[in-house]
Amino acid sequence: MLKKASPSRMRKSIYGPDPGRRAAELPGIVGLELRELFPDIPRQIYIEGGDISVIRKATEEALEKVDMGMIRPQDSVNILTSQYGFQIMNGEAYTEMVKTIKDVVEQRTGCENIRLRVATGFRLREPEEIIRHFKLKEYFKGRAAPALYIEKGVPIETEIGTLYGIAKIYDADWIIHAHHGELRELDMHRMMNRAVKPFSMSYARMETRAVHHISFGPRSSNIVPRLIFESPFVQSKFTFGCFLLTSPQGIIGVDAGHDMYELDRKLMMIGFKSYGKVRELMSEVRECIAVIDATGEPRYMIGGGITFGNLTEAEMDLFDLDNIPVSLGYGLYERPPGAPKLKSVNPAIKALVLNHMWLGVPQMELPGHIPTIVVGRDLAEILSSDPMNHNFMRYVVSAENLETAMAFAEKIAKTDNVMVFDGAFGALTCSRPLAEYLKERAPAVNKRVDEKLMPKWLRQRGIDPEQALRESV
Amino acid sequence: MVEIKFLARVIGKECIACGECQNVCPTEAIKVVDKKARVTAKKCLACPNCRGVCPVNAIKMVRRREPLRMGVDPLEVDQVQLTELCRKARLHPHQWLCLCTATRVAEGAAAVLKGARTPEEIALMTGIRSGCTAYCLQTSLRLLKAHGVQITPPPGHRWYDTTQTLWDVTEEMIKKYPGHFLEEDKKVFRKI
Repeated sequence: MLKKASPSRMRKSIYGPDPGRRAAELPGIVGLELRELFPDIPRQIYIEGGDISVIRKATEEALEKVDMGMIRPQDSVNILTSQYGFQIMNGEAYTEMVKTIKDVVEQRTGCENIRLRVATGFRLREPEEIIRHFKLKEYFKGRAAPALYIEKGVPIETEIGTLYGIAKIYDADWIIHAHHGELRELDMHRMMNRAVKPFSMSYARMETRAVHHISFGPRSSNIVPRLIFESPFVQSKFTFGCFLLTSPQGIIGVDAGHDMYELDRKLMMIGFKSYGKVRELMSEVRECIAVIDATGEPRYMIGGGITFGNLTEAEMDLFDLDNIPVSLGYGLYERPPGAPKLKSVNPAIKALVLNHMWLGVPQMELPGHIPTIVVGRDLAEILSSDPMNHNFMRYVVSAENLETAMAFAEKIAKTDNVMVFDGAFGALTCSRPLAEYLKERAPAVNKRVDEKLMPKWLRQRGIDPEQALRESV
Repeated sequence: MVEIKFLARVIGKECIACGECQNVCPTEAIKVVDKKARVTAKKCLACPNCRGVCPVNAIKMVRRREPLRMGVDPLEVDQVQLTELCRKARLHPHQWLCLCTATRVAEGAAAVLKGARTPEEIALMTGIRSGCTAYCLQTSLRLLKAHGVQITPPPGHRWYDTTQTLWDVTEEMIKKYPGHFLEEDKKVFRKI
């Protein structure tokens, strides 16, 4: 059934223009319910606008099995968070999980020196904005602070030598890893050591992030977070991890524990079964106009519960470890020599409309590959001053408003298939013709993932498919 | 060729001279002098760092009257030496050195062959490190080390000397961590 589209609310930021008209309000745009396409995608316990108390309850239940005996009343504890969690469904669920962790740890251990650390990608002021928006300084009694990748580092001895974490991340007796299972950038993590990835990203200094992204290969890079996580230094402070579990339907639960690899396996199973199907459905799209219309940078903007990056990379099955994408990991280099290649972009995207977004990540591959239309002067002005995409505005056109942008996009793209990345979980905001097409294609995708792809993905990770699927039922 | 259109400007009365800005500037363009942060315009690449860490929001970006233009032509240096330097650094001349400015490794290598001896000097010659400032640092250090330059990290935390790559992974580690495609990805690199 097609329903009215429900985009995620937007948070104001210095990195983007003030929110304006949403693409979901355009005529002919609908919400295509994912459960209608894939009935076995894990159901949500929470979706934006729902009763937030279910997150508190789920977090409390997950923490019941966690031993907190190492934390003494006189100790200090850092709860480590990443900016992206605060973007998922406008951040309310992640915030509630983090607040609940604090409350439970305080109650169970008597420790009051519990501090919040908010790490970020490249938007240096974003953690401050998050702390202010969600009133976290008040909740943590003044003990909430940003942790930036260019701030003072702390050496971490690993099997490949000294790497550097952010000092402020590790400046407590104990750390709690508060994260989420949202798929985000599959081309980077490839569903390998996903649960510990923040140890070489969010919680790491810039040099260590470069070791991960630039100096290892498109699969092997995922050993870097493991080496850091398993280092004596990190292990001397690590207490437990607490994760918001997600599927494209929404938040499906909370899990916590000491064994990050057990959690990793769980994330992997959920990922294959749910994100695997929606991602594979993206590969069925032959032509569309993509509209970017939410909080964050395009690459990580959610549409139908999955990030835009998964549409731009849909031409290659990135769960399949035999596939080697043109990635940061081996230098964005295309053979034969002569022309370096920008990150590849799915040629099914015939036009891109940037209605609302934030700066914050190098993304020249977008205007480099797709006819791109920027909506409004405010966004154009912001993009023209973006230090991470020096010449972005040289390769795009701007339109006065969303309607004229869409009209122009349709002329270029010659399609009425519109897919909107507006932060929505549970349903894909899209045009009616695209919704009908995807409904038609879904059964074949379902069968292909269940019978062919998922067993392959599992085998590649050393897991017996029959046993794993039996366990997950 | 990289065009720097903006410039950091310190709002003097707001500055508390904490020095955090000079700790994160990739080109030493901003320094605390006489209890105020001051910007050397010709060295400022307008990256987001100083503004991003200033605890009192005393730094803003203003448009330059004329853009600062920088770049090194790789064809101006000996091509055999350039190829050899990249080979030693295990980098391909055509791969990106800096994603934000679309600068290739060949240009960074040419900067080194033309005399750059620090990441700051490479940045000032090529315009790299004017964006995220993160991903091009390590590649710069690898080029410098391959050229035999003694690396001395600056005081404070402007950068740390960390240049590990897949090539530092030992046979022992490959055996210890099966399923991480360590040998397989080395093969991918070797092909390139």
